Amino acid sequence: MFDIMTVFESLIEIIRVVPKTLLLALIILLLSFMLGAVLTYIQSLNIPVIKQILDVLQSFLRGTPNVVLLYLVYYSLPLAISYFLSLFGVPFDPASLNSAAVVIVTFSICYSVFQSEIIRGALHSLDKDQIEAAQSLGYSTTQTLRKVIVPQVMTEALPDTMNAFLIIIKALSLAFLVTVVDIFAQARLVGAQTFSYLEAFVAAALVYWAICGLLTYLMNKVENRMRRGYV
Amino acid sequence: MDLQYMIGILPEFLSVIPVTLLIVVVSAVAGFLLSIFVAAVRIKKVPVLNFMTDLYISFTRSIPILLQLFLFFFGIPVFLQMLGFNVSNISAVTAAIVCLIIYNGAYMSEVIRPAYMAIEKGQHEAADSLGYNGLQKFTRIILPQMTPIALPGLGNALIHLIHDSSLVFAIGVVDIMGLATIISSGSFGMQQVEVFLTVAFVYWGISFASEQLIRYLERRKRRVLRRTGYDMTREAGYNV
Repeated sequence: MFDIMTVFESLIEIIRVVPKTLLLALIILLLSFMLGAVLTYIQSLNIPVIKQILDVLQSFLRGTPNVVLLYLVYYSLPLAISYFLSLFGVPFDPASLNSAAVVIVTFSICYSVFQSEIIRGALHSLDKDQIEAAQSLGYSTTQTLRKVIVPQVMTEALPDTMNAFLIIIKALSLAFLVTVVDIFAQARLVGAQTFSYLEAFVAAALVYWAICGLLTYLMNKVENRMRRGYV
Repeated sequence: MDLQYMIGILPEFLSVIPVTLLIVVVSAVAGFLLSIFVAAVRIKKVPVLNFMTDLYISFTRSIPILLQLFLFFFGIPVFLQMLGFNVSNISAVTAAIVCLIIYNGAYMSEVIRPAYMAIEKGQHEAADSLGYNGLQKFTRIILPQMTPIALPGLGNALIHLIHDSSLVFAIGVVDIMGLATIISSGSFGMQQVEVFLTVAFVYWGISFASEQLIRYLERRKRRVLRRTGYDMTREAGYNV
């Protein structure tokens, strides 16, 4: 019924897609971080109409599950791109869009909301005196940002960002719906080949468990190291 | 964009909301009960069980809920057969509910445990010195102070649960998402954007409603705190 050897065989197959999954997650993390930073900046400006639009957008992104958004982007992004490109007279075949791009776009948008919250929290934790001190020492705005604000905010935001990385790795398991092969999708493929789904899924679970354990361990190490300089 | 079509399929989605609600409510309630047990084991540090709950929580935290659903869907029959029951397969709804109960139990126990830990030791000692027995101490001193701390976390857990329940269509439950995939494949790939936009609005509505419920509890909490003159920042060390 349950065969340990099949688990090992599936494990080897599944480990092959781990680098790809991690790379995808990293790209999404970086993009969502940038989007989140932009979002935080725009919100801090408090422009009347834009602020309300962003609030509604945030509530929408937080209120709808990732699957729904993934499907929504999967079906609407190609149409939207071809529409925009046709305005400039560039022909674009909606079917030619890579589904990995769809996954990256969806999750970057989804997690930018969470990232902006992380960034805002980290900025709040920064002492105002720090900026004043930097200014009184004659630092320019860029210098203040680069030498005073970013290093401190980074330390504060790091644990949450790493946590977001783990969440993105897990969320990528949805990518199988749009035919992107990550750890979970690979497990399904392996399971379908050998007719032993349970073994393949157990193997995938072990892989996820190992990744999360390892990253959590690294996270604690890096965090301790970064904190040492400032406390 | 075809608004007429979106409004036309909305009633169909509303008719399957009970399936989603059943899954969410059962797994929220049962998961909460499970989480109390798990949190109690971890707080009291029961020898063997404590290690097992550690393993259990790290398992549910590091494995995607989608994979967990499939593991339970394929794993429960095998497990039952090992125990000697003659079960070849179980219904998708059962697997989904069992999986979400177990997932949610871990999630909520990580809300309840910190809330318990946040109560100062002095409170326990004061209750002991006043001659309260264990049950009295818990119901009269600890629980009233735990509740306001745990409330926001439990609210988050509920929202997460609603979102995670949208994945049960992957193992074949016809809930809102399940119906959406059926409709979108039935429309020959013509109106998928409309279908999933409608689904997004339905989920937005559900999330909004549950957020209102949480807000109501928060307001109530603040009222009670004001009436009793209990200052969380002073008594529990922080305010939420």
